[in-house]
Amino acid sequence: MCDDVLPKDPVTKPSTPIHRRTQRQRVRERFADPSRRPGLLVAFEGPDGSGKTTQRKLFKTWLKSEGYDVVTTKWNSSALIKPLIKSRKSIRALSAEEFSLLHAADFRHRVEQHILPALWNGKLVIADRFLFTGLARDVARGLDLDWVLKLYQPLLWPDLVFYFSVSPVTSGRRVGAVRTPNYYEAGQDVTNVNDPVESYHRFITRVISEYESLALIFNFITIDAEQSIGDQHHHIRALFRDGERRPWSQWNMDAITEWLAQREGRP
Amino acid sequence: MLISVDGVSGTAVAAAARVALAGVARSHRGGVSTWDASGLFQDLIVAEEEAGIPSARTLLLLYAADLAFRLRWEIRPALEAGRVVVAAPYVDSAIALGRAAGLQSGWLANLFLFAPRPAESQYVDQPPARSAGSDAGLLEFVIDRMAYMPPALSREQLIDRMQGRLSMLARRAGRARPIGV
Repeated sequence: MCDDVLPKDPVTKPSTPIHRRTQRQRVRERFADPSRRPGLLVAFEGPDGSGKTTQRKLFKTWLKSEGYDVVTTKWNSSALIKPLIKSRKSIRALSAEEFSLLHAADFRHRVEQHILPALWNGKLVIADRFLFTGLARDVARGLDLDWVLKLYQPLLWPDLVFYFSVSPVTSGRRVGAVRTPNYYEAGQDVTNVNDPVESYHRFITRVISEYESLALIFNFITIDAEQSIGDQHHHIRALFRDGERRPWSQWNMDAITEWLAQREGRP
Repeated sequence: MLISVDGVSGTAVAAAARVALAGVARSHRGGVSTWDASGLFQDLIVAEEEAGIPSARTLLLLYAADLAFRLRWEIRPALEAGRVVVAAPYVDSAIALGRAAGLQSGWLANLFLFAPRPAESQYVDQPPARSAGSDAGLLEFVIDRMAYMPPALSREQLIDRMQGRLSMLARRAGRARPIGV
């Protein structure tokens, strides 16, 4: 039953083939029309302490000065799911699977409620962490990459992913300078190490290792986050100028079509 | 031993679960595991409207998280103690909902890969309550909470599709026992 794949059944299609084809045409027209500014999705990824939030803020300020309509979305921030996760984290009640599934739910809700509507309206969305955060952390917790990746289907690929690369030592030093890592941040649920600082070092080493693999698989743009803040920012500006002219990714068709079908099916 | 009971009607699923457990020798009874043991859906009820209404996909991710919780705290401990536990609902109710809402079977199958296969599956052939009360079943709750219905699909049609899916799953499961409570 659990690994049972049911056959395709035309009765359960969400809409007629003609309806879906029309939606796909509309999606193409919306995102591939050269006469209009398309929505753009830019993700900032990296371990804690890599400085990506600082860079995201600088990047947003610059984009607005350039006339872009910018919205930001942060990891684990949906008004609906975040409180559910927060209350369970506070009592350390989450297993690796529950942690993973709840963050995937939070992500999906933000995709449907904020990210896709903004992209549809031609806005530039900056994601301070994207689904790759879930992949890196969940796999570092021992879950299977393929299982976790499929939770996030239909996949929405960013136009650009900036990966802020730092060593585990730098990450630990920067985080430790301002706070003691919390239980899940330190990965104490999987390391079984009582000292949060020691646990953090072990866990973030695994997380960074997963990020490095994902950077290769998904072709991230790697930023050397050990460099100065100003150098990184100017580098990002230049990379964005090159990257924003990329053609729209057909990979996103399923995610956008599903969202459009849901939106139009609203009772 | 794990027995699953699935169906659209929460009341009928609960009744069938009690009957299934009553058929087990008292010394081997491990109990009935019902949905929302984790309280996730209870927390959803009190969320502000501005937080947005979840889609079927989001709700099923939450149900999977709830099921992982039930497996960890209720089902696996009972099984390890050699007892019989009845999971009502289990996986097939969620798969029926997802398929009726137009989600792909491959995504649904992957979502519940962590859940062990039950030794016995029972399906309740009973329509849902007209509106979800405090004792609503999973599917009744979700139908009333879901943000988007598939285009041109009424509540009744969605329920018909779920029941059709569950009937098909009942036919497929070799040891399935359809129950009209």
